[in-house]
Order: sequence, then C-alpha cells, then structure tokens
Amino acid sequence: MTVDMPVSLLKNPELKFGAITFFAKQHKGDTCGSNGLPLTPNSIIIVGNAQLLKTIKSPFLCDFLDIIRGKHERTIVVSQYCGTPLAKIIDKHVLTHLQIKKIAYQALKGLSVLHKLDIVHRNLSNENILRQENGDIKLFNYGLYHMTNRGALVSFPVLEVLYTAPEVYLSGFDSGHVDKKVDIWSLGQRIRKILSLLQVNTSIFEKIAREHNCYEVYLNLPADLKELIELCLNIYPSKRLSCEELLDKLYFNEFRDIQEQKKMWEPFEVFSIQELYYWWQLAGGDVFQELKKQGLIRSSPPILSLPSLVLIEGTLLGQDRNPATLYDPRIVEMPLETLYQRFIHIPITAFYPLIHSKSDIISSSDPPPYDATGLPLVIKEKDPEYQFHRVILFRRLLHGYPFTKDLIRQEAEKDIPPLLRGDVWSALLNVPQGYERDYMRLDKYSHTTTDRQIEVDIPRCHQYNELLSSTQGHKKLKRILKAWVYKNSQYVYWQGLDSLTAPFLYLNFNDEAKAFACLSNFIPRYLHKFFLKDNTVVIEEYLAKFSQLISFHDPQLANHLHDINFDPKLFAIPWILTLFSHVFPLYKILHLWDKLLLCDASFPLHIGLSILTQLRDRLLTSGFNECILLFSDLPEVDIEKCVIASMQTYQSTPRSITSREHENEQFYKKNDLDIRGVTLEELKKESCPRISAADIINTVRKNPDKILLIDIRNTTLFHRSCVKGSVNIPFSSVSFNETVLDNLGTHSSLIKSKGDKVVAIIGDCETDLERFPNFLLQCNVSRVCVLHGDFNRFTSVIPTILTSGTTN
Amino acid sequence: MANRTGTAQRPNGQTQGKICQFKLVLLGESAVGKSSLVLRFVKGQFHEYQESTIGAAFLTQTICLDDTTVKFEIWDTAGQERYHSLAPMYYRGAQAAIVVYDITNQDTFGRAKTWVKELQRQASPTIVIALAGNKQDLANKRMVEYEEAQTYADENGLLFMETSAKTAMNVNDIFLAIAKKLPKNEQNTGQAGNAQGRRLTEGDTGPRAAGNCCK
Repeated sequence: MTVDMPVSLLKNPELKFGAITFFAKQHKGDTCGSNGLPLTPNSIIIVGNAQLLKTIKSPFLCDFLDIIRGKHERTIVVSQYCGTPLAKIIDKHVLTHLQIKKIAYQALKGLSVLHKLDIVHRNLSNENILRQENGDIKLFNYGLYHMTNRGALVSFPVLEVLYTAPEVYLSGFDSGHVDKKVDIWSLGQRIRKILSLLQVNTSIFEKIAREHNCYEVYLNLPADLKELIELCLNIYPSKRLSCEELLDKLYFNEFRDIQEQKKMWEPFEVFSIQELYYWWQLAGGDVFQELKKQGLIRSSPPILSLPSLVLIEGTLLGQDRNPATLYDPRIVEMPLETLYQRFIHIPITAFYPLIHSKSDIISSSDPPPYDATGLPLVIKEKDPEYQFHRVILFRRLLHGYPFTKDLIRQEAEKDIPPLLRGDVWSALLNVPQGYERDYMRLDKYSHTTTDRQIEVDIPRCHQYNELLSSTQGHKKLKRILKAWVYKNSQYVYWQGLDSLTAPFLYLNFNDEAKAFACLSNFIPRYLHKFFLKDNTVVIEEYLAKFSQLISFHDPQLANHLHDINFDPKLFAIPWILTLFSHVFPLYKILHLWDKLLLCDASFPLHIGLSILTQLRDRLLTSGFNECILLFSDLPEVDIEKCVIASMQTYQSTPRSITSREHENEQFYKKNDLDIRGVTLEELKKESCPRISAADIINTVRKNPDKILLIDIRNTTLFHRSCVKGSVNIPFSSVSFNETVLDNLGTHSSLIKSKGDKVVAIIGDCETDLERFPNFLLQCNVSRVCVLHGDFNRFTSVIPTILTSGTTN
Repeated sequence: MANRTGTAQRPNGQTQGKICQFKLVLLGESAVGKSSLVLRFVKGQFHEYQESTIGAAFLTQTICLDDTTVKFEIWDTAGQERYHSLAPMYYRGAQAAIVVYDITNQDTFGRAKTWVKELQRQASPTIVIALAGNKQDLANKRMVEYEEAQTYADENGLLFMETSAKTAMNVNDIFLAIAKKLPKNEQNTGQAGNAQGRRLTEGDTGPRAAGNCCK
C-alpha cells in the first residue's frame, strides 16, 4: 500500500478549504469620479483590500486563500475551512472550563494577530470558530469587515447581532466604528454563550446570566473565567481590555508555555495550503461551479432583472431587489477527491526532491522525473502534476536563497512556476536581505513636481487587471514610483516607468518593498541611464544598435525598412523604454521577462527583432504608412514564438554586436579587445554592426567554422600577415557600381554558400570600412559585421591567431 | 451625424474627386485626451482607461469634403514634458495641428499656449492650428472658461472648439473644420503609394535636429 503514503501528505484534515459569497454594493448608474473616470467597482476595491489577508499566518486563524469576482459585483472568498464550528459542538457536548479557557486563549491569540494589522473581525460567532481534531481552534471569516472598507462596500451589516458590542449599535452600523475592542466584547459574549448561562447586579455578565435564569451556573463559575468574561463585557470600550492585556492574565499561563517557546527558525513546510489550492484549481477545481452546484449562486434569466423604467440620465426604477444581495452566511466546502485521485500515484519521494549531491545509486532508485519537456509553456503551466513537481522543487530552492542562487537560475531556464514567480524573479534579480528596511527609509509621501504626472498615469496603467485597478493597487504603485524617484535623484520619472513597475507590483502585491527592490535592481541591469533627464544619446544609441541588429540578421527586411524610411525611432521607443511592458498585456510580459531576467541588457534588442520577424511578411509588402499603422495598433504577437526566436538570435549573436557605450559596465565588463569609444555620430553612419577583436579571436579559436573572415586590406599586407582562415578581397579590387555579389570575383561563391556564418570584415586605416559592408548588406548577405579597430589589434594577441597569408 | 465617417472612408469607388493628404499632429499636456480624440475620430471608440502614449502613435482617417477626399495622417504624440525633444520630429512638415487642453485644468491650458507659440515659431508658417478644449462632458468641473479660450484663439488665428472624446461632441467637427481650412491645391494631391512615406519624413531633418531641440 505504498501508494497511500503520498496522498496522506495531501489528506491532512487541516488542508481543506471552503468558500462564501456575497455581493458588493453596486454603483448607481453611470457615475464618474472627480477625475472623470468611472468609479472603481466596489468588488475590485474589495479584491485589492483582501490581498493583505493572504499574508496573515497564525495557527489560530484559517488561511485566507483567494478572492474571485463574478458578474454583477459577485464576490467569492475562498479560505481554509476545517474542523467543526463551535456552534455545533456546544449543542451536543459540554466543554470543560479548561477547554473553554483554552478556546478563549487561542481566540485572543488569533485576534491579536489581526488587531496588530488593524483588522477588526466584527463577525466573531460560534459559527466562525472552528475546533480542530486536536482541540485547537481557528477563527474563520475574519476578513469581511476589513475587505469591505469596514462594511461600507456591501449593502448588509457585517456583524453578529447577538454578539455585537453596544457601542456599535450606538454609533450606527455605517459609521465605520473602528475600535478593535468590539471583538473583545464579542469574545466575551461568545464564551458566555458556550457556558450557556446568564445574569447579575453590578456586572453586565451577572445581569445577562440572571435574565437567562442561569444565575446558579454563574455563581458556580471559577473566578478566573468569571473575571475574563466580565473584562470582556465592559460596556465602555475604553475600559475594556485589549487582546494583549487579556493575554497577559495569569490564568492563561498554562497554555502559554507549550506554544510560545521561541523557535530558532520556522519549520520547513513541504507545501502549503495555498499550493494545494493552486493544484486543486489546475486539476479542474472550480469554486464558482461548486457554489452553483450547492445552490449558493443561482442565476435567474436576465430579463427578470430589467427595470420597469429607465430615465434618460440613467436612473433605474422598478427593479426588484434581488434577495441574493443579502448576506448568505452559508459556507461551501470544496471537494478534494479529484485532486487526491489525480495525485495518487505520486511517490512520497517527490515531496522531498534531492537537490545536492545525488549519488548514482540514489538517483537510479528515483522514479524518472515527470517529463513535460517539449510541451508548450502554456500547457506546462496548466498541468497540475508538472506544477506540483515544480512548486515543490522551487519552494525548496527558494528556501535556500541566496545560497541556491545558481540552482534557481538553472531551473528557471526551464520555466518558472507561476505561483512562485514573484519570489523567483526577486532571486534572479539578486534582491538582498533587508530590502524592507531600505524601502521603509524612503520618502513616499512628500509632495514633488512629479506627482501630477504619476497621478494621471496610474489610472491608465494596466487597468484591466483587478489588482492594479484597485484602490490599494493605485496607492501602492504611487508609493513605489515616488520612492524610486526619491531614491534615484540622478534620474527622473519618465512616462512608462509606471508600466515598468506594474509587473513587479502585480507579483508582489503584498510586499511593496520587494516590488520596489526588484524594480531598483532591474533598472540598472536593463535600462541603465534610460531615465536620465536627457536620455537622447542613450536612446539614440540603443535605436541605432537595433537597426544594426536587424541588418545583421535580416538584411532583406533592413533594406526594405531603409528604403521606405521606416526608422525604429518611430515605433520602438515604448518598446525599449518600458521593455515591452507598455506594449503587451501582463500575462505576456511575465513570460517575456521570465527569459529576460536570465539574459543581459542586449536581450530586449533581440525581442524587438523577433517581433519584426513575426510581422516580416506584412512589413515586406507594405509601404511606410501601412508599416507605421501596424505598429500603432500592434497585431497579436505570439509571445512563446517570440521568446524562442529571441533566445535563438541572442545565443547565436556575438555579444559585441550589440555592445553599447552606455551599457552598465557593472554587468558587462569590457577590456581592451572589446568595443569602446564609438561616438554616436559614427554609430549612426554604420549600417552594419562592429564586432570586437575579442569575439573574433574567440570564434577563430573555438568555432572557426562559424565565421568567415574577409580581409579587405591590400594583397601585400595580407600576404605578410593575416588571421588564420581569412580570405582576401582587397577593397580596391571591388566595383561597387552594381549590387551583385559576383563582382567580388572568385570569393563570391564563398559568401553565397556561407550559411549562417558570421561575416567579419577586417581592414585597416587605408580601407573604407563602410562601403564594403554596405555593399554586402545591399546584396542581402546576413550576419555582416566589421572589426572594431583595425587589423593591428591582433598582432599582440598571444597565442597568436595570425599566419602568413601565403596559404590562401 | 458627423461621426459616421465609415461611409466617407470608402467613397463608393468614385475617384473623380481630388484626393488630398495632410499630416496632422496632436500636441498638449499629458492626460488631456489627445489619444482619446484620435481614437474617437478614427475608430469611433472611447476607452475610459486609455493608456498613456509613449513616443507617438500614428493613425490615418479619410473624410469626404464636397468632391475632395481628405486623408489625415495623424501623429498622436506623448504629452509628458520630457518627451518634448521628440515633438519637432512629428510637427515638422505637418500641415495641421490640434493643440489639446483639458477644460477642467487651468495648467493644461497654459501648456497649450506654449505649444501654440512653439508651433508659430518652429513649424511650417502655413500650418493650420486648432485649439481643442477637451473633456467638455465634465463641464461642471470647468476651470477654463469658454470665452477665455475663444478670445485667445481669435487673437492667434486658431480654430477653436470644445470637444468631448467621451460623448463624441465636436470631435469630427474639429477635424472637418481643419480639412475645410487646409488648402487643397495640387501640391497636396495625388500622392499615393510609396511616395507618401518619403514625403512624410522629408520634413524631418533627422534625429540630430530633434535631439538638439531639447537642449
């Protein structure tokens, strides 16, 4: 029965989840905010608010898992749901005083976690306290009040009538009474309820006990429990004790010691309930369908929701109030059987993948790894079993960060599991420990001259995304942008920085500091100097390199674009300044950047090239207007094809081809044999890129069959000394009148049959290093480049790559 | 209604009339609605969350004016001041410009005046300039009075309309008014096919010139 083993890891009684659903308040008609933009739907505000709940970890709180929006402001909250509600237990059993004290203690522990985050439960009842098999409790549904902006975004009151503190009734439900102590009152009421007793004289508790004819029970209560309840039920919120104060009470000491020994480190979790929920979804789990099946979501024919009368300015009259808009406290548990079945054959070893030092014996005893190679990325991301293995592995690797940096990179080259993308990215970007502190120190609030621009840009930045369009999303994005501008005083805010930040915020929505740290490490690596106040030279250099890269790989296209005067400047600025984050929707950016983060600052040029390649046929048959229209309204780009193509050209292009003066030398170290000192004027005149002596030397030594060296110096010099394997086509011997390769004489066939070899042209100060490469380019010869500097570069290289040219 | 330009686009294959092409550029502070105006004019659409424009976007639209077919080649530019250095590349050689401001924001009107001045100084002397006070649908939050803008437009010989890309008010009208005012002589006709691309960028004296402007 070995097969049962692994499933039992999944079949933990606490690893279960359920969902509740409600409607957010609908805005009336077509209302606009003060900026003329439509009001953010309440359900989206709720989605934004709810994200914080995902970060809450406590053994006494159910883990918050997900929030889903449906039509018409329908909102679904998915959360851990396990154990039995106290309400059910106290119907059948009488709990001992010790058990009750323990429940009180654990509930207070749970509440104190919430209160520290300024979250008020407001909904504490015996239905929402779940007792686990081991007798511990977990609080459930504690996020409703917080996510609905203290109940303001829903049309029902968030409270349990019986347990609600008096001041809530005094101040009215809508006043947004903030005091956390309402929870304490509820707790007191709840304990009282468990004891099922009630009455008194001086104390509220006694009074309630008397009213319920339970004075006897009241009198027989142990003093500590009585005190606790009375403290909780103080009608003055100011006198009512806080969680912390109550937890300090001596009578809780017996529970304290077992659970609060400071741990040296958090125990390693093999997987979490969030991950289980993720796999469950991939395996076909659908919360919406389950709610439908169980009758919590009922759809009525749309015609029934038509109003009787619509006034011209949009007011609706005679619309029946849908009873479903009231709060329905039912909880639907999600069935996990399908997932268990789907994973039943996964061996236990798969939960503990070995990372280091695999011995042959151990690895041969391992089952073969789940093979998904060759499958398209989108399929791999939807395959529950593949994602199971990837998540388990990456989670382990991330746990070892920064020591596992290389392993993370190695695995990321295969693919990155979407669930852990945020953490993997920050590992790839070398986000250091202590990033929170750095972020905390930065000024994100003082008014600056950039504020207006940031404020008008944020409401237009990837607003189709729920997180980024939520109120929380707007606030966070603004803070990150302001912090970045504050920290990088040498740079300024350029429109587009918002789009660039969006993917990081989306992935680290609950960790603003990490999103900021990612952005801060990303820009120097890929967009060095792009955000200078005057970035003209940086951008122009980049665009010139882009044109050259097109010539290098696709001379036919380059010639056509040149003929119709179609300059990359007209379309590629948003591409490079935002690294395509202003061009593509988020899900495409994520896949694109998954690869970008593994490559250097030249990769975006290759992405640009691959986009042109995808549109190649249309571009070749179009004139200027059609071409520019194509880019103003970019057609659907197949991002996976784009990624593959850009990886190919990236790997097959000598690095110096894309070398730039304004590159960040921290990431691209240059020496004497690399390209330096090319002015923008020179660069713009050159249609073909330069290649460094270093790259030629490397290729000649390691892959001599990958390069065709054409030495255009005169024959005498060539015979005296030349690079091994190079051919001599003296510049003076060529007639450039016609763009026909045959003009090159005997060597023309060498060029025609070169395949994908790089054609490097070597000259010296006597030769014209522009006409010859241009001639080749016009003849549609691909991969033409020119040695940076001249032949003499090679003379001092040891061991030499030179020979005397007589063999040729 | 003026916004039915779909019919104008395909004038039933009747080509006996003249065809004129004009390069038009939109300028103005960011988030005043330049892209929205173009989108409304070209596609009849309106997006509440129209993305910001980086660099510039290019679109074309054709309208019929009596027996003449007018084709607008529209350059929609980025509004942020920092992108200013790119602007000359787009307005140089343009026969028409729409300078846009937001009627709910006085600063954007000031910025519009600066653009007008720059065009009068740097662009073609025959350029037809229109001033568009956009977001007329938010007239209850108006900060720029109609009369103020009208006076300014009159003083400077500009076409002027308050527009709303959201409700489509005056959007086609302002383009139509420009088309009427543009000279439809031989120079602008019959440039079809490949020639148009060249002509379009001839006005651009190259990136170097554009770069200098920001200094």
